[in-house]
Amino acid sequence: MNVIVEVKLLTEEKRMFKIPVGPQHPALKEFENFTFTVDGELIIDVNFRIGYTHRGIEKLAESKTYIQNLYLCERVCGICSAAHQGCYAQTAEALAGVTAPPRGVYIRTLIWELERIHSHLLWLGVAAHEIGFDTFFMLVWRDREVVMDILEMISGNRVNYAMNTVGGVRRDISDELKYKILKGLDILEERTKYYKEVCMKEQTILARAANVGILTREQALKLNAVGPTARASGVNVDIRKDVPYGAYDEVPFNVIVYDTCDVLARILVRVDETLESIRMSRWILEHLPQGEIRTNFPRRVAENEVLSRVEAPRGELFYYIKSNGTDKPERLKIRTPTLANLLPVCEMLKGCYIADIPIVLAGIDPCFACMDRALFIDENSGKRWVWDTKQLRKYSIKWYKEHGEEVVRERWKQ
Amino acid sequence: MSEETSFENEVIESFKKVLGEKFVDGYVKGKRQVFIKVVEDAYKEALKYALEKWSAYHLTTITGIDTGEKIELLYHLLEPKSSLTITIVTEISRSDPKIDTVSDIFPSALVYEREVFDLLGVIFNGHPNLTHLVLPDDWPEGVYPLRKDWKPEQMK
Amino acid sequence: MALCKLVKWARMKSPWIIHYNSGGCNACDIEVVAALTPRFDVERFGILLKGSPRHADILVVTGPVTRQTKKRLIRIYNQMPDPKFVIAVGTCTMSGGVFRGAYNVVAGVDEVIPVDVFVPGCPPKPEAIIHGVVKLLEKLQKS
Repeated sequence: MNVIVEVKLLTEEKRMFKIPVGPQHPALKEFENFTFTVDGELIIDVNFRIGYTHRGIEKLAESKTYIQNLYLCERVCGICSAAHQGCYAQTAEALAGVTAPPRGVYIRTLIWELERIHSHLLWLGVAAHEIGFDTFFMLVWRDREVVMDILEMISGNRVNYAMNTVGGVRRDISDELKYKILKGLDILEERTKYYKEVCMKEQTILARAANVGILTREQALKLNAVGPTARASGVNVDIRKDVPYGAYDEVPFNVIVYDTCDVLARILVRVDETLESIRMSRWILEHLPQGEIRTNFPRRVAENEVLSRVEAPRGELFYYIKSNGTDKPERLKIRTPTLANLLPVCEMLKGCYIADIPIVLAGIDPCFACMDRALFIDENSGKRWVWDTKQLRKYSIKWYKEHGEEVVRERWKQ
Repeated sequence: MSEETSFENEVIESFKKVLGEKFVDGYVKGKRQVFIKVVEDAYKEALKYALEKWSAYHLTTITGIDTGEKIELLYHLLEPKSSLTITIVTEISRSDPKIDTVSDIFPSALVYEREVFDLLGVIFNGHPNLTHLVLPDDWPEGVYPLRKDWKPEQMK
Repeated sequence: MALCKLVKWARMKSPWIIHYNSGGCNACDIEVVAALTPRFDVERFGILLKGSPRHADILVVTGPVTRQTKKRLIRIYNQMPDPKFVIAVGTCTMSGGVFRGAYNVVAGVDEVIPVDVFVPGCPPKPEAIIHGVVKLLEKLQKS
């Protein structure tokens, strides 16, 4: 479905839109992350510029040893820290020709799946908050504490678990711990099944998410979208199945694909993936091989170059390392999944209402302090104004309260 | 084991045949990870071939490396169904790094080329929006942090 | 004098907080937000998270300060009415943390704005963050 055509059906006349300017003066010389060109309420074009959290990690990594870089890579993103650290460890091992022992690989995979659970539940709460459904946000985050406790029991920290090392993992899982984790997983499964029902039936969510932010399958393929964003548009790609790494060639699981291409599909993909991850974690715990959890890694790595991919909660995470015979890498390249989804989100937003921005943007699960500030330019009136996340969220909730019914009715007619 | 290696070799041989003299080197760096090094004017042809013959439609990213003498560009492509990764490698001049954009073949290159421009100073001819992606507006002109001869201390 | 005491009491009993991420990895931010959720529930102490700096008493900063966020951080600090206080959460805000030496990072938020309380950790647990806020309130009470 061509989104631009839909726009023409809905708008009858062009309206001049006057929005009071926020506390920040738009003339101030500070860059915005997103610039929206609008026509009344509708978005015509989107441009972006990230860099808010650009710290210079790739350069810093060249002056740190392979072991030090484990802890640097972990903090590229605090929410998917294990994905980053695990991918780095995996790439460095391939670089040096080191094979981590099976038990280490299984534990690494377990942490990846537990992190997926925590990340998706976190996201579900945040998405609920964006549409004003704070009760749901509080409920999900309360239950998310179960997986945070599990991670703390295993690794000693709730966030940034530092479980991986080059050559395997650093901590083992005892039988007693295994029993506690399994109990926690049971609770999570029951709660997540309840959340799935809420997402499929609750009017608040359906009104804001169904048929919103469409990204067709062709667009997703052409723009190389990754992760749940792509899988919600019918693209059956999951790095865990397609380029198996870790223990994923042995763990049985399903790839979750929906084809309604809207925000609701993105919500359901993540909820279903959480359920899959719970099942996978259970399987991994029950099939943990005996043996060592780590092996030796050389201090200096001979000249080589290797790349590796991981399916982080947000999508395909890519690492490339080039070594030069010293104990520090020559080049470390990281491509986070959010970067790959920026062009797709711009496509999704074209034709949406301004009030849809918070949920559509949240739909790709962005891993940067996303819309700190957004600049709006009205094409007709030439008016420019700047909003921050909170202003935009407040506006969108208010707008849907006033116009929601007629908009939803129009949208669901198709 | 030999079956795996023969698939990767098949990929390398196909590039060698099509590119002829423009093919510089082909090597395997892991399971289904093929690197194809080509001369500068053949990289677009190699990318098109990877897309058409091997269906490697997914551009994961573009890596730029300052080797001291040249700037090396690596285009990482993925074909998920056969788990195949093809990386097209080419080198361009370091003193005047210019190369054509590939966003006409891979639209996602718009973002990755902007990043390489920002941090290494490579000009991508034909790119519609070659502006800062991650560096701030007040970053000094002509200073490219990922170049080997630049140190953070120089910023003070 | 009496009015002063009243205002001080009101501020101590119900401090309003604004949270600002100055370029961090989000780990500290999710722990700050987790402090609001039912298990830790800072709202029962009267602590409220506010959106606008003009209504806030306490600025909670996370993340190493990147070049892009420095100006905005200073402006938010200036927009807050007096008396105002700053809590720096996380190791990055104290010294740059793992990012110390990176080219786009200022090493320590106290080089940009004055800080009253530092909460170390990478990230600090929500209990530690709440402890930091309580310590600030005690400091207020003593003055």
